[in-house]
Amino acid sequence: METIGFSTGSLARADVHAALALLHDYPTGCVELSALRMHELAPLLRSLPNLPIKDYRYISVHAPSAFTAAEEREIAAGLLPVAARGWLIVLHPDAIHDFSVWRAFGDRLAIENMDRRKPVGRTVEELRPVFARLPHASFCFDVAHARQCDTSMTEAFRLLDSFGDRLAEVHVSELDANSRHIRLSRTAIRASLEIARLVPVDVPIIVEAPVRPHEIEDELMASLQAMGRSSSSARQVAA
Amino acid sequence: MSEQLALLNAPSEVVQLRERLGADWPSITKARADALTVIDRLQAGLGGHVPPDTSFVVYGSLARREFTAGSDLDWTLLLDGPSDPAHREAEILLRRRLEELEFKEPNPVGTFGRLTVSHDLIHKIGGEDDTNRNTTQRILLLLESIPIGDAPAYTGVVRNVLRRYIEEDLLGPGDSPYRVPRFLQNDVARYWRTMTVDFAHKRRLRGSGWALRTAKLRMSRKLIYAAGLLSCFSCETEFVAQARGSGRADTPLVVGHLEALVRKTPLDIVARFVLQYFGELSGCARDLFGAYDAFLSMLNDARREHLDGLSADVAGEDPVYEEARAMGQRFQDALTRMFFESDTPLPELTKRYGVF
Repeated sequence: METIGFSTGSLARADVHAALALLHDYPTGCVELSALRMHELAPLLRSLPNLPIKDYRYISVHAPSAFTAAEEREIAAGLLPVAARGWLIVLHPDAIHDFSVWRAFGDRLAIENMDRRKPVGRTVEELRPVFARLPHASFCFDVAHARQCDTSMTEAFRLLDSFGDRLAEVHVSELDANSRHIRLSRTAIRASLEIARLVPVDVPIIVEAPVRPHEIEDELMASLQAMGRSSSSARQVAA
Repeated sequence: MSEQLALLNAPSEVVQLRERLGADWPSITKARADALTVIDRLQAGLGGHVPPDTSFVVYGSLARREFTAGSDLDWTLLLDGPSDPAHREAEILLRRRLEELEFKEPNPVGTFGRLTVSHDLIHKIGGEDDTNRNTTQRILLLLESIPIGDAPAYTGVVRNVLRRYIEEDLLGPGDSPYRVPRFLQNDVARYWRTMTVDFAHKRRLRGSGWALRTAKLRMSRKLIYAAGLLSCFSCETEFVAQARGSGRADTPLVVGHLEALVRKTPLDIVARFVLQYFGELSGCARDLFGAYDAFLSMLNDARREHLDGLSADVAGEDPVYEEARAMGQRFQDALTRMFFESDTPLPELTKRYGVF
């Protein structure tokens, strides 16, 4: 169970403390601290020393998904000490204004593939120039985004085939017609399984589906199943 | 120049072959340059008129990059996503916009010039629901189509159609996708036969246009069939190294390979194969591309209109028709040598898959 966990935003949006409290009883070794909206970042950074996260083997932080060019340096300055702890900073490529601001993060910066609403970062061809400008950056593979862009899963396959050596984190969920993250359906699990073999077993899985507290266990199990890691890990969740 | 146009403008296999042969195919070159100009004009003219989850897709001579003076514009607004009443309005607005841009409309009751939903293309392969229109749109999507502008809907549909053909051809768990996809190849062959049967049907139904349709059937229609066969055969010939022990999990690799060929023109697919067996096929290539160049030259001058107005009962004595017939024969002879008599994998593959 060490390689799966939740995004705090999926459990309690901006309330990281509440999300961590909900996860307390589950044997998840990973967590992504979400600051997806700009106003969530400063409170998250301030609260880091007091968060009950010492038992997590793997921690990442999701940077805001949109900010102005004027805000970019301040955001990066706030996140750089977080990256220095060895934590991964997940960033949307379309949010970047100035690539030079993010180069100092090295492989602690993970660029995420985007959903079909975004004009960049959806395909191998669109991500290649991003990685060319951030040559040491890692890759955060969002299965739902890739599947929404191409339900045949060919692009998902291509993304993992092209950037697999950079792969540092995987986001698992499904998207509805309005591109909102939702819980995994059987079809989404089946589709994810088609590319699961390309994700090494030690790469952390972060569940992004919004769930109510009583749904946490089921969604962890479904996500493990989707990534082909069902049997022993699922037994740990069930226990 | 847009990114899409820059890609289309990259040295193609036809250009590489032309240079290696030291040949001069002025009509092929001109038709391609004209097509790129038209694609550029369409991109600029339709910007903002194509809704999200759709792609504006063109077929026919423009997609083959063989645009000539009499070419019309076969298009669909391809939807791959949630249904929205606004899509119908977009279709109407696009039609008006194309009129403003002075493009020749496709047949108003025909296959093109309308909204097409991905569902039927992906799910209705074979069976009673696979209508002539559906088969035509699906196979032409694979053999001669190009998206104008943003293409996620187009890419998604092409990949899902290809995936169905490849996956459903694998009957056992150990089957490898690195082989000729019979399901796809049979459907491409079926479409070619359908075209030839529909040709006879149209001859009976309509008085005019017979001679021009005959020339097109013998040249451009036959070309897309040949390119379709070569694409199918390439799944076996170009994956020899991987063919041992690879299972169905590698299907996306084959889908990706075929998708890359869908993005090429039929002439480029033929030229690509010729380049792989250059010495053996260079003689065929001179005849094949030479005949095709002459065909495009004919479509770009007064001979096109002449053929369009020619009836079957006087065609036998008509010099233009005789010229068209001769270039069709030269093209067919070159294909016969290439597919049946060359020292390449083609004769064996054609014997194994092309007939029974």
